Amino acid sequence: MVNPVLLIAVPLGLAFAIPLFALFWKAAVKYIPPAALAFNLVVSLLLLPRVLENSVIVSIGGWQPPFCINLVAGPVGVLFSTIIALVGLLVSVYALDYIKEGATEKYHMLYLLLLTGATGVVLTGDIFNLFVFFEILCISSYSLVAYLREKSGIESAVKYLIQGAVGSSLLLIGIGLLYGLFGTLNMADIAQSIRSVSPISVFVPMVLIVAGLGVEAAIFPLNAWLPDAHSSAPSSISAILSGIAIEVGLYAVARVIFTIFGAQSFLTFLALLGILTLLVGEMCAFCQNNIKRMLAYSSIGQIGLILFALAIATSYGVTGGLFQLLSHTLAKALLFLATGYMIYQTGSMEISALEGMGKKMPLTCLAFTIGAFSLVGLPPFIGFPSKFLVVRAALVTKETIFIIFIGLALLGTVIEAAYFFRVVQVLYFKADMTNPGRKEAPFAALIPMFIFVILIVIVGIYPKLVTDVLNSAASELLSRTEYIKAVLGSIL
Amino acid sequence: MSFLNNYIYYIGAFGLILIGLYIILVKRNLIKVIVGLGIVDTGVNLFLISVGYITKGTAPIFSRPGIDSEDMVDPVPQALVLTAIVIGVAVLALALSLAIRLYQHYGTLNLRKIREQKW
Repeated sequence: MVNPVLLIAVPLGLAFAIPLFALFWKAAVKYIPPAALAFNLVVSLLLLPRVLENSVIVSIGGWQPPFCINLVAGPVGVLFSTIIALVGLLVSVYALDYIKEGATEKYHMLYLLLLTGATGVVLTGDIFNLFVFFEILCISSYSLVAYLREKSGIESAVKYLIQGAVGSSLLLIGIGLLYGLFGTLNMADIAQSIRSVSPISVFVPMVLIVAGLGVEAAIFPLNAWLPDAHSSAPSSISAILSGIAIEVGLYAVARVIFTIFGAQSFLTFLALLGILTLLVGEMCAFCQNNIKRMLAYSSIGQIGLILFALAIATSYGVTGGLFQLLSHTLAKALLFLATGYMIYQTGSMEISALEGMGKKMPLTCLAFTIGAFSLVGLPPFIGFPSKFLVVRAALVTKETIFIIFIGLALLGTVIEAAYFFRVVQVLYFKADMTNPGRKEAPFAALIPMFIFVILIVIVGIYPKLVTDVLNSAASELLSRTEYIKAVLGSIL
Repeated sequence: MSFLNNYIYYIGAFGLILIGLYIILVKRNLIKVIVGLGIVDTGVNLFLISVGYITKGTAPIFSRPGIDSEDMVDPVPQALVLTAIVIGVAVLALALSLAIRLYQHYGTLNLRKIREQKW
């Protein structure tokens, strides 16, 4: 059996080995992140069939779960670690050629640390450990946003850092309050005894924790940093921030709400926040002229849709939410990667500057178009089954409020289609036909893009490939008692 | 008076947190905002310590005979605070180095004047 600890230990160790390695062989440093993430992908895929049967609990230090820091590799955790390793691997292959300027060894170290933090957040079963991994993720993304040392990057990194630091202080206060109430930091142990105190005394820590995590998850009133940070980071980092970092934040929110607090009455409010996030994101994206800002706002919109689907809290809803999360991760990472080389060629981020790119970079533009169509939800791509599941989940609840909300969400999808089709039109149909020279993105960038395209098409045509995993992940999130029994089973 | 005696650490902790948040929200100078972040961090750490503190308690060392477990201070929050301090130092150091870069680009640290990125 493979130990899930390796998923965290190997990339963490390699990340800190990178600066040492760079002392004597600098050129080889950039191959370390792909190697580490390929290892993670293999380990996650090996673990996946096992954890579908029952969760693997790892106790560190030889103590029984409530007294030690434990890892919970359940379906949700391993599903997320697979997604993180897959997207991280493809983006790191893309970065082999894309990242040339600056202190590249620092880029690769921070990149690996960011993904280690993300993997740690999804695997841990201890709430303070979750905070620590979250901080690893946040601190490395603050510095990666400022990697290019441009005016805009520094400015958005400062904004991101101030908001993120306040958010993590709120999270830590919430954790302190929980510890004061229950005297334990183990998530299953807290979940077990949460009913023993009055709901009002748990409400304050819950609000603090959700607000703290919500900053990173970019839930509506807390997402002012996102468009700046995602648009001024290097494109490979934007892909990771949009595809991994905010999803991990959402995972943490879902875990806290569903597993720790089991807060049913809070869910309608979260659904409302989700719809607000969706509408604000899509409407702001519609009026952008800068393509990376447009994609960043579109991420906000998608996060809103995922949050809404999770807040339905039926097994259809959570499955749909996780499916939408997977489809957003693949499509948005692809879009940012394709945009990266288009911007590199034109030297401008304005949408109007992309005129006629369909002739100059046909493959990159094809990848962009497929990503955009998938995000909008057109049939042969992964976006269609995921959005379909979300709509079905909202309709089968038969509650008026959810039906109104899903109507608004579909309105958001129409806006989304409008601005993505506008970009596709600029790419292909507004060309000056003066026989432009073809200048395609390099090979190392095209391969990851086309692996994304293939995944998007295959899962879109045959969604059964992933629905089993998503279903058991959804049932893990929804059944608190199973989770508690799995973690604390040995001492109950 | 006994209320003040019992809760003085909590009052101090939340006082520090609120002062820090006030500074972050109101001040225009980036360095002052970073100082505010530091004060919030200190407040949170004080709060965590006071969750586990017992008046006149001692360290939980079992090898010394004659100490009741009632008199022992909970060691877990102190371990948490050590970690939180390290994280806080990292964030503050990163913030200060970003402040240096920001000053090189804009020639000012006034956050109201740095507004290239907006919605």
